[in-house]
Amino acid sequence: MDREFITRGVKRCSGGKFLLWILPWVAMLIFGLYSAGLCLVKGLNQTNMDNRFAFGLWIFLDLTVIALGAGAFFTGFLLYILKMKELRAVINSAVVIGVVCYSGAMCALAVDVGQPLRFWFTFWYPNVHSMLTEVTFCITCYLTVLMIEYLPIVLKNRKLRDVPEFLVFQHELHKLIYVLAGVGTFLSFFHQGSLGGLYGVLRGRPFAFREGLAIWPSTFFLFILSAAAVGPSFVLLTTWLVEKISKKRLVRPEAMQMLGRISGLLLAVYVLLKTIDTLVWINRTSPGNGFPAAQYYAWHPFGTWILFTEIALLGMVPALILLTPKLRARTGWLVSAAAMACCGVALNRFVQTVQTLAVPTLSFDKFMTYTPSWQEVGTFLAVLAYGVLVYSFSFRYFQLFPDERELKLEVAQVEEEPALVGRY
Amino acid sequence: MQRTRRDILLFMGGGAAGAMLTPAPWRLVTDAAIWSENWPGIPRPARGEITARYTNCALCPAGCAVRARCVAGQPVSLAGVAGNPLSQGAPCAFGLTGHQLPYHPQRLKQGTPEEAAAAVRGAMAKCGPGESVAVLDLAPGRASSWTYRRAMAAVANGVYLAPPRPLGGAAVNLAKARTVLSLGAPVLDGWGTPGNVHAARANFRLIQAEPWESRTAALADEWLPIRPGSEAALALALKDPKTAPSAAQATGLTEKQILDLANELTASGPALVLSADDLPEALALNQALGAWGQTLVARPEVPVPDAWKKAAPERVVASVPDSSIRVLFIDESVPGSHIPWSAVEKKLVRDNPVVVAFAWSLEGYGRHAQFTLPTAVYPELTSDIPPAIDSPAATFRISAPLVAPPARMTDPSAFIAKAAGMDAGNALQERADAIHKSGRGTLFTYADGKSTPLKDIKPDAFWKSLNEGACWVDDAAVGRASWPAFLSSPHDTQAEPQSTAFPLLVAFAEPRTASLTSPLMSKLYQDSDLRMAPNTAALHPDTARASGIAGAARAVLETQYGRCAIGVIPDESVPPGMLEVAAGPEVLDICGAFTRAKVVAA
Amino acid sequence: MIAPNSKSQPSRERQRAVSRYGMSIDLDRCTGCGACMVACAVENNVPPAHEGATARKGITWIRVFKVDNGEEGAARRSVFVPVLCQQCGEDTPCVHVCPQQAVEVDPATGIVGQMPERCLGCRYCMAACPYHARFFNWWDPQWPAGMEKTLNPDVAPRMRGVVEKCNFCHGRWHAAKERAAAAGKSEIEAGAYVPACVESCPTGAIRFGDLKDAASEPAVAAKDAHSFRLLEKLGTEPKIYYHSKRDWVRQVAAAPKPPNGKENARG
Repeated sequence: MDREFITRGVKRCSGGKFLLWILPWVAMLIFGLYSAGLCLVKGLNQTNMDNRFAFGLWIFLDLTVIALGAGAFFTGFLLYILKMKELRAVINSAVVIGVVCYSGAMCALAVDVGQPLRFWFTFWYPNVHSMLTEVTFCITCYLTVLMIEYLPIVLKNRKLRDVPEFLVFQHELHKLIYVLAGVGTFLSFFHQGSLGGLYGVLRGRPFAFREGLAIWPSTFFLFILSAAAVGPSFVLLTTWLVEKISKKRLVRPEAMQMLGRISGLLLAVYVLLKTIDTLVWINRTSPGNGFPAAQYYAWHPFGTWILFTEIALLGMVPALILLTPKLRARTGWLVSAAAMACCGVALNRFVQTVQTLAVPTLSFDKFMTYTPSWQEVGTFLAVLAYGVLVYSFSFRYFQLFPDERELKLEVAQVEEEPALVGRY
Repeated sequence: MQRTRRDILLFMGGGAAGAMLTPAPWRLVTDAAIWSENWPGIPRPARGEITARYTNCALCPAGCAVRARCVAGQPVSLAGVAGNPLSQGAPCAFGLTGHQLPYHPQRLKQGTPEEAAAAVRGAMAKCGPGESVAVLDLAPGRASSWTYRRAMAAVANGVYLAPPRPLGGAAVNLAKARTVLSLGAPVLDGWGTPGNVHAARANFRLIQAEPWESRTAALADEWLPIRPGSEAALALALKDPKTAPSAAQATGLTEKQILDLANELTASGPALVLSADDLPEALALNQALGAWGQTLVARPEVPVPDAWKKAAPERVVASVPDSSIRVLFIDESVPGSHIPWSAVEKKLVRDNPVVVAFAWSLEGYGRHAQFTLPTAVYPELTSDIPPAIDSPAATFRISAPLVAPPARMTDPSAFIAKAAGMDAGNALQERADAIHKSGRGTLFTYADGKSTPLKDIKPDAFWKSLNEGACWVDDAAVGRASWPAFLSSPHDTQAEPQSTAFPLLVAFAEPRTASLTSPLMSKLYQDSDLRMAPNTAALHPDTARASGIAGAARAVLETQYGRCAIGVIPDESVPPGMLEVAAGPEVLDICGAFTRAKVVAA
Repeated sequence: MIAPNSKSQPSRERQRAVSRYGMSIDLDRCTGCGACMVACAVENNVPPAHEGATARKGITWIRVFKVDNGEEGAARRSVFVPVLCQQCGEDTPCVHVCPQQAVEVDPATGIVGQMPERCLGCRYCMAACPYHARFFNWWDPQWPAGMEKTLNPDVAPRMRGVVEKCNFCHGRWHAAKERAAAAGKSEIEAGAYVPACVESCPTGAIRFGDLKDAASEPAVAAKDAHSFRLLEKLGTEPKIYYHSKRDWVRQVAAAPKPPNGKENARG
């Protein structure tokens, strides 16, 4: 019944089946909105955050999804600035992921702050010394950029492009795509970095505090690098997931390989720099502030295993896998490595957010633990459901994967002539 | 000229652009933030003229001088009065929040005085031989206390009951002490008059003998961690060194420590021995050390009119035969000592005794009384405050009201006097007049910080000053030559022997009060772990395990007097075999001095 | 983004500052009675604990901790440590991180002031503060019926969703300034302005004064060999000087030690 909205030449499941797919996500969204509503109406006492854990699940998830959503800017950078044509196959999907990640993070933040109606104070009374001001400005601008980049995807919908004004508009907009990509990269560089800077400047938290370059602590650069490394991995992961769920071929293997290779390269560089940074921190920065580093890992359950897992297991290992062409060629290895890389970055954000607050600073502090309340989990599930729903609708009604039509024809040809086998 | 739509739009656009160059829109934007600053439901403090008023705190016998900062007559904060000779300007956490008590959510606002009066009349008429009418006064020594005593003298079978006086009514002269041995007494945490104790602190060496490192033990010059329940043995050995070996066994100290301590007490005198609950052995030790006349002195009663001398004597509850009280008035209109209800209940007749409690809430004896009549709450009430235990001279202070009590509050003196067919009169003023007639002592007025000999003050001025914040201090008391008999008389404070039924010894970790405390005190036990909430107990995890309540947050405390629900806090610093409790009315009902208890699962 | 220049900006603040208020806290006198905690709550209109509040969510601008030396039994010794906003003087962590300038160092007094009306409730300042001196309003404040009459008109009650902290009873400074001005003086006399906690301390353990006045008790304590500040190596230059003649008590100033399986703090 919604055939005319679906892109010509590709097949999508029936309306009924689609409804079945989105129903559980809608239910999750409703539950999540209820949780968020509770927090907004009754106050943040609905969460398990407290004066010691001022940041909790939401901040950790915001940071993680923003890092994962970095695929949007980075793929754009690679495609439009560095002219890596293979990535044209995934750019639209990356933009949708970016829109979903950033807008979802903003919504979660709106619930996280105590006075959401005062959001405009940061714009009106900005503190030029604060990393968070920078983050706010940058992310707001970048979300705008993302929306502008998303618009053409929407306007290219089969029905919408019948409207001549839309066609002209998105065509003109496309001329600006290099500008948008450049601006997006610039903004992302800064806000990804400032998110790292949020923790690196905390002089009162020697666990998080880092020395750096001029006003930027090392975490500024490490966050950018890790986001750039994991962005392509996440795009790869989602593409594979969508292919699996929709049972279609959506991209050529070259695109996936390229994403994997770039991710692996950046990840390797990141692991190297992170190792150096960690060694400097353990041996100089933290002891210089009166905090020997060993004591951070003496508080159960945060042992040195967490450091090892973050850097070696979920950092170096996937990097090596992604840099090995033979392994990269195998889907299983490729996707697993991408997933490991994403988990590694999530772990890094977790360590920066939760472990920073859990380790004591005063000699008579207790070590405390924090478990999110169901309202917090529910709100996060709302973001997740929102993301899946937006992506699902985008996948169904917009052309997210330009190579899909060609690949469909190729598959059809193969089916007609089974002798001509071409698989990756 | 034609005015087109375009012109209008241009004008409006230009106007808007121009307005942006004026402060107006920017101010509007900033002012819009104001609506986000205060939601309905956030109270706006009332404004008004700021004045200072003075009174005395009625929450404990220290009766610290209080300066209230009042806004349009309403006290909004309390502070001490610097230079005050008795309290040295130092109120405690209870006193600092006293002005919030009238608004306590559990504050009683309604009662049935007519019904209660009728029931009392009926029961008094029914009194048979051997049956009595009694008043239980938890804060004896006040002018109201004398009214009760006179009322009970006026009634044929009237009895006046009060808790046993600490140290038998003697007073402590801390300024004279050079060595103080405290057997678990919370010297630095609510004992006596806090300001006076801290002012005298530099003059004496404090040795705290206590199983648990209490606040006093943490700041004492020396902490002797003795085993629970061994205070009496230690005191005995300090008096009679021959018992040192068995005392060493009981306390866990070495013989040398005990003998050194005994030497110190005699060599570095004048010495003073305090115990948490008037241990006879501690009193005997004081006598042996020659404390009488030095650190322990007789304090004459604050003068009363001669007409009052015909009053019923003060008796303890234990002295009354069981099942003999038909009508009982309990005055808890001012915080005082708490007597476990079970000790009181057995003195009541079996058939329909009438118990009338005068209280601030239903939480105290109101749980057991037929009638609980609401009274004015500090700082609404008018009462005099008996001298504190560490005031060697007699003192007279009035807690004058800072705010008016609500309507329909009962005045216990008036009620009881009426029931006894007596006119209560204006007891406070009569007493003030009697004091003035004695011509002794000095009046310290808070507003101007002046000390004036009483003989230089006229009676009207005296009464006026007392009601505006002042204290009268008697001239130095003349000590009696010999150790008075009443200090040797048996008390109810024999330590309970250890038993398998009740293996744990109860000690009080926090100042004891059964009275209402301000909701803001939750800062100390709910918003932080500094103090324990009322009706909670701290115990060693091994004790918890042995009692079968490991890991539980709530349990049941049981003593020979009854049981009640308590919160439980595991604390490794509490010695095994001990319970450190924070009292509330329920706990005080079942825990007296040196009580043995057990803890069972809820 | 402009860097917090550690050399020039705070120096300018210090030069312009007429006073630099600080405290000295004698840990050999503090009995842990809690009078300071309730006096602070009375003065600053902090509401009583909400039903669901615990020590982790409660608001205690000044909070007294019981700290021990880690020994067992007879060798155990405890000390009571009141902790409040340390009024950091150098690179004040919370000032630099607040995204909407809701925190500032008052140049006239050196007091780090928090503006709850400006606060967004992002709690970044709480993450930045190593002294746990900042508190978030997890609930709307609630007083029992009638108790609002006892609120201090000089301090605005805060609503939920904003951060608050000790500001050395800044309202009292304003009142003292007005009184001095009414008497024709331009400066506040020493002793005319004391925060509520200082006024209420029964043992006089907490002393207050202008660190620029060499005769004031905090200034004298600052030079005493037995004085120390919390986490000095962080370079925050707190203005609260703790003092104790007991050597083991100085441990409270240092960084946490690795746990030996036991928790050693209650407060």
